[in-house]
Amino acid sequence: MSTATGTTLPAWELPLTPTLIVSTAIATRDFQDVHHDRDLAQGHGSKDIFMNILTTTGLVQRYVGEWARDAIGPDFRIAGCALRLGAPAYPGDTLTFSGSVTESGELTVIDVVGAVSLGNHVNAQVTVVAR
Amino acid sequence: MSERTLSGKAAIAGIGATEFSKASGRTELQLSCEAVLDALADCGLSTKDVDGLVTFTMDNSSEIAVARELGMGDLRFFSRINYGGGAACGTVQQAALAVATGVADVVVCYRGFNERSGDRFGQVSQWAAAQVNTNGLDNAFTYPYGLSTPAATVAMQAQRYMHEYGAVSADFGAVAVADRKHAATNPKAFFHGKPITIEEHQASRMIAAPLHLLDCCQESDGAVAIVVTTPERAADLKQKPAIIAAAAQGSAPDQYVMTSYYRDDIGIPEIGVVGRELWRQSGLGPADMAMAVLYDHFTPYVLMQLEELGFCGRGEAKDFVKDGAIELGGRLPLNTHGGQLGEAYIHGMNGIAEGVRQIRGTSVNPVPDVQNVLVTAGTGVPTSGLILSV
Amino acid sequence: MSTAEWTHDDIMAAVEEIKALGESEPKPARDPINQPMINNWLEAIGETDPRYTSGEAPPAMAQVWTMDGLDHTKRAAAPLHRTMQIFDEAGFKSVLGTNCDQVYLRPVEVGEHVTLSARLDSVVGPKVTGVGEGYFVTTENTWRVGDEVVATMSFRVLKFKPGARKPAVDKTRLVRPQMNQDTAYFWEGTALGELRIQKCNACGELRHPPGPMCPTCHAADRGYVVASGKGTVFSFLVHHAPQLPGKELPITLALIELEEGLRMVGEVQGGRESIAIGSPVQVAFEKIDDDLTLAQWAVVE
Repeated sequence: MSTATGTTLPAWELPLTPTLIVSTAIATRDFQDVHHDRDLAQGHGSKDIFMNILTTTGLVQRYVGEWARDAIGPDFRIAGCALRLGAPAYPGDTLTFSGSVTESGELTVIDVVGAVSLGNHVNAQVTVVAR
Repeated sequence: MSERTLSGKAAIAGIGATEFSKASGRTELQLSCEAVLDALADCGLSTKDVDGLVTFTMDNSSEIAVARELGMGDLRFFSRINYGGGAACGTVQQAALAVATGVADVVVCYRGFNERSGDRFGQVSQWAAAQVNTNGLDNAFTYPYGLSTPAATVAMQAQRYMHEYGAVSADFGAVAVADRKHAATNPKAFFHGKPITIEEHQASRMIAAPLHLLDCCQESDGAVAIVVTTPERAADLKQKPAIIAAAAQGSAPDQYVMTSYYRDDIGIPEIGVVGRELWRQSGLGPADMAMAVLYDHFTPYVLMQLEELGFCGRGEAKDFVKDGAIELGGRLPLNTHGGQLGEAYIHGMNGIAEGVRQIRGTSVNPVPDVQNVLVTAGTGVPTSGLILSV
Repeated sequence: MSTAEWTHDDIMAAVEEIKALGESEPKPARDPINQPMINNWLEAIGETDPRYTSGEAPPAMAQVWTMDGLDHTKRAAAPLHRTMQIFDEAGFKSVLGTNCDQVYLRPVEVGEHVTLSARLDSVVGPKVTGVGEGYFVTTENTWRVGDEVVATMSFRVLKFKPGARKPAVDKTRLVRPQMNQDTAYFWEGTALGELRIQKCNACGELRHPPGPMCPTCHAADRGYVVASGKGTVFSFLVHHAPQLPGKELPITLALIELEEGLRMVGEVQGGRESIAIGSPVQVAFEKIDDDLTLAQWAVVE
C-alpha cells in the first residue's frame, strides 16, 4: 500500500448510537451531562447528547491507525493529532470518515474529515512516523 | 545653476500659530486669522503689506474671507493646493513662485481647522465618496467595501511593506516613540510631558491592523501661517530668514488619493518625485541634512519616506530608525517639535514652522549646526516638500 | 460583579491575572496508566491495535488519564476552569470546543504515572460567530512522567452567549459608490454576478479601476471582459475602528490580485482567521439592495 502524497484512505461509516456516545464518553472519563443526559443537553440548547472531543480524537486515530498498520507497518507511531471541530455528532446520525495523505516522507501527514449530516464534525491532521 | 531656478529666490520671514487643542471653541476662520496675525507680528509686517494668500483646497476659509477679516488691501495673488495634507509644502512653493517672479511681494500661506471638535479626518469621510468628480469616482472602488478611513488605506500599504521587507510593527513604533519624546519637551505640543515607550505603542489598541492607535497622528484644532517674501526683504525684517533652497510637488504614474494600489509597487513613489526634485533644485543631498521634518500622519509612511528620499535603501528604514537614530542626538533627528503624533495635526504646516525654527536656532529641541532642513508634506497623496536653508 | 457590570476590559483584566499565574502545579492523574482503563477505552472506541493490549497506552488516551471525573471541586484551580468562571459570571455561559492540537512525544506504558500542568495562553474576542457572540479561550496543557514531557495539548474553546448577536447593522447604509457612464458597466456586472474588467477594444489592454480613455493607446473604444473571479490576496488589513456605516466590525479588507493581473479592493468575508498575503480567494457577490451588489471575496480553503 502506498503512503504517497495524494493517497486516499478507504472511507469508514460509523453509525452513531446513544450507546456509542455514552460508552465512549464514560470510557474517556468525560462526565459532562451533555454527553449522557439528553434532558440536560436539550436544556443547554442542544438537540440531543453529542460526542465528546476525547472520543473524536480516539476515533480519528483508530481510523488512521487501521490504515497505517497496512500502509506503514505495525510499528508506526502517531506523533500528533490536530482537530478542528465543527458540527456536533448526535445519535442517529452517521459519522463518515475520509482521509488523504498530504505529506509523505519521514513523517506521513494524513488529513481526515469526519462528516455528519449537518456538515463536517471534525477536520483533523494526523502525523504518523515509522518507528 | 541655470537662470531658471526657484532656489534661493524666496524666504520664509515669519511663522505664526494658534494654540493646538482638541476643542478651540472658535470658528476655523477666526483660527486662521489669528495665525496670520501671529505670523505677521513675528516678522514685523502688517496686514497691509500682504498681497498674496495661499491655502489648501480643503480649507474652509477662503482667501477673500481671511483678507476681509484682516482688513487687507488688494490681493495680487491667491491660490489653493489640492490633495489634503500633500498641499502643505505646496502652499509655500506657490508663494515662492509668486515672490520669485514678482507676481506678489508678501504671500501668506495658512491652514486652520477644527479637525478634532469639528469634522474629524479619522472618521469616515462620507463627502469624499459623495463628491461628484473624478475623486468621488475613484473612491467608488474602495469606500462601499468599507475602505474609507485614512488609517485603513495606509494599513493596506503597511501590511504589504512588512511582507516585502520584513518590517514589524515595533519598527513603525520607533517613529511614535521619537515623536512623543520630542513632544514631551515642547510646551506647545498636545503631548507635552507625555513620552511613550515602545511597549505602550505595542499595547495600544488596533485601529486598522497592522496599525495600532499610536501609529496614527492626533486629531487637532488649530491654525498655522507662514509668511513668504524675497530674501532681500526678509533680511530687513525681525527674524533670521529661512531661505527656500528648494520647493517641489510630486505625483507618480497611476496616482490616486490614498489608494494608489494598482501600481506594481504600492509604496509612495510620489514622495520620491518630490525628493529628486528637491535635491536637483538645491544641489544638496540626504547627507547635507542634519535633521528632517517628515510628515507623520501614520508611522509606516515615515519609514517609506526615508527610503524614497534616499536616506537609506529600499527596505532598510527598519534598521535606519533603530537605536534612537531618529531621536534628538541620533543620526537624523526627525520631527523635533513632536510631529503630528506629538505636537498637533495641522496638516503639516506646523512641521514647516519647526523647520523655520531650526534654521533660526529657536526650536525647543535644537539640532546643532543645522544648515538645511528637509520638510515634507502628506504622503499617500500627491505631495510636496521643501528644503529650508540658513 | 453582576453580568451587567462586566465590560470587555473587565474580562480581559481578569484574564490577564490568570495568564500571569503561568503554568499550574503538576497534578497527578487519579490512577497510574493501567490496563483495565485502556481495555474499557479500546472496547468503547473499537480500537484493535494489539500493542494496546500489551502494555502501551493509546496516544489518544493522553487526556483521559488526567480527567477530573465527577468531583468538580478538584478542578477549581485549573486555569481553564477559572477562565470559564469569569465568562460564566460575565454572561457567556455556553461552551464549545473548537480546536484540539495534541502532540505525543513518546508512548507511555502501563505503570507510569502522568501529571498535568496547564496554563492559559490566550483569550480573543468578542467575536460574533454562527452560534453567538463569544471569546476564544486557548489553554496549553503538558503531561509529564516525572520531569519528562510525554504529551502536550493546545486546546481552544469558544465561550459564548447562545444566539446573542450584535444588533444587525443595516448594510444598505454603507457608503454608496458614485457611478457615471464610464463606470456603470462594472456595477451592472456585479448585479448580474459578473466581475467585469474594462478592456480596450483597440489594443486589448485590461484596466481596473476603469476610465474613458485607454492610458496605453488613447482609444476611447472600450468594452469589458468577465473575470474568472479567482485571485490572491496582495495585501490586507483588519478594520477595527472607527465604526463604518453599514458594516459590522471588525472587517477584513484586502487588495486582491486577480488572475487576469489586475488588482481590486474588497472585503474578505470571515477572512480574519484565515487570511494571509498570497491566500487564494474567490469572488462572492453580496447583494446590498436592488441598486447595489458588491463584489466581495472568500478565502478558498
